[in-house]
Amino acid sequence: MTSLRRTKSPRVVPFGDLAFMVELGDQFDPALVDRALQLAYRWKWGPAIPAYTSVVLQYDPRHDPAMAEGRVARLLRTEGQQAVAVMRPRIIEIPVRYDGPDLDDVAAMSKISVAKLIELHSSREYTAYFLGYMPGWAYCGSLDRRIVATRLTRPRERVPAGAVGVVDGQTGVYPFPSPGGWRLIGSSDAVMFDPARERPSLISPGDRVRFVPR
Amino acid sequence: MIRLEGAGIASTIQDGGRLGHVHLGVPISGPADPFAFRAAQSLVGNGAEDAALEVIGLPFTFRSETSRIIAVTGRDVTVTVRDRVPSWTALFVRGGDLVRINGTERSRYTYVAVSGGITSEVILGSRAAYPRIGIGRVLRAGDALPLGAAHRGAEDAGATVSHAYGDRIAAIAGPHADRFAPAEVERFFAEPFTLSPQSDRQGARLEGVAIAPKVGELLSCGVVTGAVQVPRGGQPIVALADHGTTGGYPIIATVIAADIGLVAQRAPGETLRFYRVERDEALRRARERSDLLATA
Repeated sequence: MTSLRRTKSPRVVPFGDLAFMVELGDQFDPALVDRALQLAYRWKWGPAIPAYTSVVLQYDPRHDPAMAEGRVARLLRTEGQQAVAVMRPRIIEIPVRYDGPDLDDVAAMSKISVAKLIELHSSREYTAYFLGYMPGWAYCGSLDRRIVATRLTRPRERVPAGAVGVVDGQTGVYPFPSPGGWRLIGSSDAVMFDPARERPSLISPGDRVRFVPR
Repeated sequence: MIRLEGAGIASTIQDGGRLGHVHLGVPISGPADPFAFRAAQSLVGNGAEDAALEVIGLPFTFRSETSRIIAVTGRDVTVTVRDRVPSWTALFVRGGDLVRINGTERSRYTYVAVSGGITSEVILGSRAAYPRIGIGRVLRAGDALPLGAAHRGAEDAGATVSHAYGDRIAAIAGPHADRFAPAEVERFFAEPFTLSPQSDRQGARLEGVAIAPKVGELLSCGVVTGAVQVPRGGQPIVALADHGTTGGYPIIATVIAADIGLVAQRAPGETLRFYRVERDEALRRARERSDLLATA
């Protein structure tokens, strides 16, 4: 999980008075996701939120906020200088019933059979790029290119917990009932997030994810 | 222990927030009006980790089992303990006295701090409630809430903090200001916006001139409290305590930490205006606020 190659220098923009947005690029690239994750892990001065091509570094005002800018600069200057063992990705298996209301539509859009769709979705290992949107929601990718799924033009008002969705090369499992615009191909009994568990989120950023048909 | 007799409609226990699980998509939560919360906490001698009550829906009434120093802060709040007593002030309340808090239609978030703090269960490193996913719950009449050992006594009553809720909100441009034409950014900092009734602890929803970004959506990125997101349609949303940790709408500006409470406390139908500041000015204002509380 360590990528030592340095690409163009990041753009650092103030994000209010207590955070900075570090933009690593503007096109999706797994290498940038990995960089964002490593920067987030190395930031020790407050919460950090990694995403596709950026990381938001929040600064706990109990430290001297006048120092924040220098600490961001230092973090970026030392990027890639040591091969930090950021985390050990785990393999998370998620049992899925392929019974989602959009299963036929996605197969039709992809011009493949339902059986082939299930095979393609469940036969590869995904990377959990980052978590966001709601607790325990992991953006996982990338889908086999043969799976074509656009966002619903009218998002559902309520998607049940455990629904397995696909959209634009990505897949994920809804941890809680919520509105949602992803196409639903299956459902799972896995508890994606439980505040009472020692590891509240089933998936952590950087984990490898497999869907197991049942 | 304090016992609630009238609990409001969506009141919760809050502390400084749940900072340790943002990377798992867990909102920070904490008070919607951080300055009013901190003011109440410092008046009773509580620290940053102590928990207090955020009251939504007045009147709110409770009794303390034992004598305690308490403080009530918020917008347009009045406090009665036997007689009318001041808000934004350290009050000495005797065991068994009924404390009654009233407000007006402009009161949105009211804070009740009790010396020693509310020692409810710590979940994921914080006592801040986020009932949406079962972290804590909305308070109910009859709830008995445990307290920590008091930090201050009767001799500390009378200290006050003064605070006014204005309608001019300081914001730093960006981080996505360059995704808007300069004229759109100018309009954002010039035009008044009206608070929508759909506003809640997730976000203050604004209505006014439509602000058009050059691009509709971005790849999702992290979001902080105060971020002014502009969804399709151009009606901005200011992220408050329970906001989602990531979002895909361009962020035209970010309200400075010192002014978040001014946004949160605007009532539906009221207006506000943003004005532009740089980071140095924001840090100076934050220091002023901390100094104000240090002497409370």
